[in-house]
Amino acid sequence: MSDQVRSDTRLSSVSRDVRDQIADLQADYIAALDSQDMKGWLASFDENNSSYFCRSKENEDEGLEVGYMFDDCHERICDRVKFVDEIWAGTFEEYQTRHFLQPTRCKSLGEDLYSAQTNFTVMYTDDAGITKVLASGCYDDEIVVNGVARLRSRKAVLDTNVVPRYMVYPI
Amino acid sequence: MNAHSDLVTSLEWPANLNEIPKAVFDDPDLYKMELEKIFYGPEWQVVAHRGEVPEKGDFKRFYIGEMPVLVIHGEDGQVRVFHNACSHRGALVETKNRGSQLEFECPYHRWLFSSTGEMIGCPNSNQFSPGFKKENFGLREIRTDEYCGLVFATLSDDTPDLKEWMGERMLDPLARILGGDGRLRLLGYQKVNYACNWKAYVDNDGYHAPLLHPAFKLLNWQGGRGSQTPTENGHIVFEADLTMPDRVDLLDDPSLIDFKGTDTSNGSLVISTFPITVLTKHLDMLNVRFAFPRDNDHTEVHYAYFRHEDDDEEMARHRLRQASNLLGPSGMISLEDAAIFTRIHHGNISPGNAIFQKGVSDPRQLNFTPAQNDETGNLPRWEYYRKLMGFRRAQS
Repeated sequence: MSDQVRSDTRLSSVSRDVRDQIADLQADYIAALDSQDMKGWLASFDENNSSYFCRSKENEDEGLEVGYMFDDCHERICDRVKFVDEIWAGTFEEYQTRHFLQPTRCKSLGEDLYSAQTNFTVMYTDDAGITKVLASGCYDDEIVVNGVARLRSRKAVLDTNVVPRYMVYPI
Repeated sequence: MNAHSDLVTSLEWPANLNEIPKAVFDDPDLYKMELEKIFYGPEWQVVAHRGEVPEKGDFKRFYIGEMPVLVIHGEDGQVRVFHNACSHRGALVETKNRGSQLEFECPYHRWLFSSTGEMIGCPNSNQFSPGFKKENFGLREIRTDEYCGLVFATLSDDTPDLKEWMGERMLDPLARILGGDGRLRLLGYQKVNYACNWKAYVDNDGYHAPLLHPAFKLLNWQGGRGSQTPTENGHIVFEADLTMPDRVDLLDDPSLIDFKGTDTSNGSLVISTFPITVLTKHLDMLNVRFAFPRDNDHTEVHYAYFRHEDDDEEMARHRLRQASNLLGPSGMISLEDAAIFTRIHHGNISPGNAIFQKGVSDPRQLNFTPAQNDETGNLPRWEYYRKLMGFRRAQS
């Protein structure tokens, strides 16, 4: 990566205020998921226009769009809340996740829109108390920042091409 | 190889055909025997579909049992399956899951192979053992056959002809699951490593009680008329009409369960081929679940989704949107299936038998025409398994 490109996408290329709002969004997002609060997860997305995808890096690199989760409109993001809270209620074993994030890149796309890349590791703990890695990867986001930050689109790209269990909750 | 499990001699299989001894899920020696007799024995194993390797030079890495194989679309147009092991010292020839190239080089000593498996060259061969001939050192090819683009491989010379092995009853539904003529293109994968024995996976994928699926009820979506047809050699075909609800209040985006139904299905079609592969066509979603055991306690499943070559952009998009969110390891309908595999695996580490009930009118007879939701459809496969492994059945 050239010095020019690096400086254009470094976290410090955007204002501290924007960074703070994005950091709050990321923290709220993982706090919601790690407490199985799907409505809190939903609140992280721009209600006018948003999308969420979760797919393997293997698919992503080959331009294959199939994902574990493919919510290409806000209605589908709302439906995912219903899958977990209503449709699947009582049919799966609970598992506790812990998301760990590290922002790596951020850049203004003009007006109040920003792109951001954030590495993640997600651990999960089953009923027996055993903790393992669920997935490692990178969020590729577009974020609207105007007093409060919301996800316009989030793509969770999993380096983990073979996940160790079925996934109830988004990443 | 001559694996043996003491369980085969010590365990007496119950006289009732609906009782399966749970001990068979938790015996590493038995698992080694299963690899030899079933995965490396005279059965066809599903390893790929042409839609994953559509162009010359395209390849896919996969497994038969625990053996690594390489599926290559050769420059002559034929799809072949090879052991993924260099003919020299046995290193993996290819480590990428998929790709496209006309030559395959083992990095260890730079032995080079063509897309049809012949050896092209090996440096310093003038110093090799007397009588060394390049033509004797191609990649080791595995017997293959195809049906509607689905690529089967077998390590045994004794395996019957593919169509005979599948049986007449399966040919038409299998073609319909594969888009009618097998002209498919890959949309992508979901891959999961389930912590369960391969038999627990296959016993509960394909067949599953509708009780498990609240989505059906919430959608006011009943199964409709349907049938399941088991074969004597362990395959099962499930077919069902789907009665679609007039309106879907539950979902904000009901397009998830749109049924465009352009072609070959009355809604729901599931085929389970012995030993481990499940194929489904549900609404407009075309799905092959390529699977293999990682060890006695783990089963890896690659859910591969396809579109038809003739699909217009709208239909291809619809299949993609349905594929990702409807079935599979996080699918609206099927998440509960995935949830049950591991639970069954752990529960099976307990004494006694798993007892199938629904539809069992005579525990001493196999039923080859079970009703749609009966548990009995799996029993011919268990009986086939018992005979293959050589378990003796109690007389009373």
